[in-house]
Amino acid sequence: MTETLAKSGFQLLLLLLVAPLVSGVIRTLKARLQTRRGPDILQPYRDLVKLLRKGMVIPDTASWIFPAAPYVVFVTAALVGLMTPMTATDAPLSLFGGVLAVVYLLALGRFFLALSGLDTGSSFGGLGSSREMTISAIAEPAMMLAIFAVALGANSTNLSEMARSAVSQSWRFLAPSQMLAFAALFIVVIAETGRIPVDNPATHLELTMIHEAMILEYSGPYLALIEWGASIKQLVLMTLLVNTFFPFGLSSGWSVSELGAGLFFYLLKLLLLSCCIVLVETTNAKMRLFRVPELLAVAFILGALALISTFLF
Amino acid sequence: MTEAMFPLVEALQRKFGCQVQSMHAGREDEIYLVARDPDVRAIAEYLTDECDARLVTVFAEDRRSAEGVFFNYYVFERRGDTQYLMVRVPAPEGGLEFTSLSAKLPAVNWQEREIQDWFGLKAIGHPNPRKVALHDNWPDVHPLCKDFPIDTVLPPFEGERHLYRPALGEGVFQVPVGPVHAGIIEPGHFSFAVAGEPILYLQLRMFYTHKGTEKLFEKLPIHRAVFLAESISGDSSFSHGAAFCQAIERAARIEVPLTALVMRTILLELERICNHVGDIGAIANDVGFVVANAHASRLKETLFELNERLTGNRLLRGMVCPGGVRRIWNDGQLDLLRGTIDAFAVEFRDLIALVHSSESTQDRLERTGILRPEKAKDLGIVGVAGRASGIDLDVRRDHPYAAYRTYSFRVPVYQAGDVWHRMQVRIDEVNESLGIIRTAADHSLRGEFRAPVPAIPPDRCALSAVEGWRGEIIHWIRTGPDNHLERCKIKDPSLNNWPAVVEAVQGNIIADFPVINKSFNLSYSGTDR
Repeated sequence: MTETLAKSGFQLLLLLLVAPLVSGVIRTLKARLQTRRGPDILQPYRDLVKLLRKGMVIPDTASWIFPAAPYVVFVTAALVGLMTPMTATDAPLSLFGGVLAVVYLLALGRFFLALSGLDTGSSFGGLGSSREMTISAIAEPAMMLAIFAVALGANSTNLSEMARSAVSQSWRFLAPSQMLAFAALFIVVIAETGRIPVDNPATHLELTMIHEAMILEYSGPYLALIEWGASIKQLVLMTLLVNTFFPFGLSSGWSVSELGAGLFFYLLKLLLLSCCIVLVETTNAKMRLFRVPELLAVAFILGALALISTFLF
Repeated sequence: MTEAMFPLVEALQRKFGCQVQSMHAGREDEIYLVARDPDVRAIAEYLTDECDARLVTVFAEDRRSAEGVFFNYYVFERRGDTQYLMVRVPAPEGGLEFTSLSAKLPAVNWQEREIQDWFGLKAIGHPNPRKVALHDNWPDVHPLCKDFPIDTVLPPFEGERHLYRPALGEGVFQVPVGPVHAGIIEPGHFSFAVAGEPILYLQLRMFYTHKGTEKLFEKLPIHRAVFLAESISGDSSFSHGAAFCQAIERAARIEVPLTALVMRTILLELERICNHVGDIGAIANDVGFVVANAHASRLKETLFELNERLTGNRLLRGMVCPGGVRRIWNDGQLDLLRGTIDAFAVEFRDLIALVHSSESTQDRLERTGILRPEKAKDLGIVGVAGRASGIDLDVRRDHPYAAYRTYSFRVPVYQAGDVWHRMQVRIDEVNESLGIIRTAADHSLRGEFRAPVPAIPPDRCALSAVEGWRGEIIHWIRTGPDNHLERCKIKDPSLNNWPAVVEAVQGNIIADFPVINKSFNLSYSGTDR
């Protein structure tokens, strides 16, 4: 019991601290590729501190959903984080259903975020919510299929179990099912984290926003919670991607030396994935909104093919 | 009067009994005719339908103290003639109304409503006679009338909200955007009616930055009014300043030294390149292709720095003056100009290669925000937006001013009318402008650069047109006593082109509005004045 608590505490700390860092690294790398100096890597932390100290403006038309949504977003993201192996193959928390719980906890957060966009009655919030739901309606099954393709190989939907089996087997990323599933999940991660070509996290144009449009009415600590939650969700999705397909360096135990090595490899993998995301963001223009479902349909088909090919090869 | 316009004027005299009037116009390329108000519609139809002429602008003048009546001016031009035909129409009996042409020529919709707001003349037969320039609950006083002192302080009046036409229907929503926008842009209110994502229609409300510029011109001595002209629209400072100075020079009947004309040409083209490069980057930025914008901004900055070295101002302000230009360039500055332009040309080619190599950008821009040529013609669209929709107009070629007569350049015209082609027009124009500057900079720019401007006698009229980077800028002046202006009419191309935005966004999805709007990049300040 104490051990689980200690592990959970450690991983929670890691989630809370590393998540803004990843956002900062991506932002800085992007700026450098665009020949800008950009904010430094620690800027997201400063933003969070600033927001937490500010007052809030809450629209008169808001119901209980508006103040509840930030907590739901934050808590679901953190819970999912605790169920995902980050530095060690054993995740501190394991809920019923494994990956199913992961997918649906994320969906719960998104559902509340979309509700809060509608809750205030502002037209931008409504636009954002409707767009988010359109996209997630396809992104979600694509994600399920891709993860199931991996779960089938490991004979378990428990993420820790999947990680252990990935570590123990020889690396088989070049197997068709793995590659297809990776491609599918990569597209889903891009979509779910609101990055170009699906959404533009840096835009000031309300009319083109998806994620930002839903949270336009939030300010102060609530906004901080949502932003923090969003960056944790991004970290978790990236973690899923790197640890499922590239399980190098995942430590099998929780001793200090194992943790240190695990942490080092984990951060290295995150950095490499960040570079990939930055390259995609910089070399592409944002897609026309109505073409985004086509991109996600591609992810869905890749996921389906991955699933089928686990039976073939 | 040259041969070409002669049959036209003769026909107008024969058909409608128009009188040619000498208006002390400084040059031969303005012909003033007097017509009667009931004939205006027939005259306009005759000129636009049968003679292939175009109604450039409509404006009014309060001549009650001198001639006892308000006058409306209808300015026409047609391809192939360098002259402008000005039909001068006194208000009919009763004196407070005029015949509206908007039903036939939607291009003058806003301009006729401005006359209603500013002069209190009623546009008879206007399909939508609501206020456009003033507050909806503005009292019954009209700022451009001579009996309205400029320092008038109106008693506070209750604000009444502008009524937008309601959007009705199942699943139809009204999305209000503005007047205060995110980012560094000016105020304007957009009211979208959307069914899901697609835009059913868009209603605009401008004039949030109305500053009474035309009235202010009547208060300033001419030599100071140049600075006001430069601030009509910040990004077109030099074009507006040059247009104003040309009008003054024509009224004063002075010849501007060739050196000054060449320098003006160079600066006008520099302004065009600056803004076009900025727009190309901004369009790419609005579809999320940020790298192109980063490079475009960098290139724009090199030109701003060149501007500062050439004129002392990054936006080219304070350089143009009646009679010529304020300063002449030394050899160092000319070398800097040539060197910067050559380096720019190379980098610009790379930028365009980058934009053209991005298929995702092309995919976003092609077939987005289409303005059909026939619509563009009806709405009287000018400039970049017009040329992307098949409107082959360019003041530089059609009514040469400054030193444009001596340079050859191509006017790019496309028929597709989408965002991609509005960007393509800009790309082509930058290349042409670079050519013009290169040729012009080879002139030996020495000697006289500023002709003395004598005090101008009252009651001289002059029209001046400049192809600003957005399109056709028109200034019309009448001089008054004491070297002041009696009236200064300004028409910025944005005033023509806002309705084009309304037309182009219809049927597009609301997420594409920002990039469509950016592809027009109209000036709020220039529209509102």
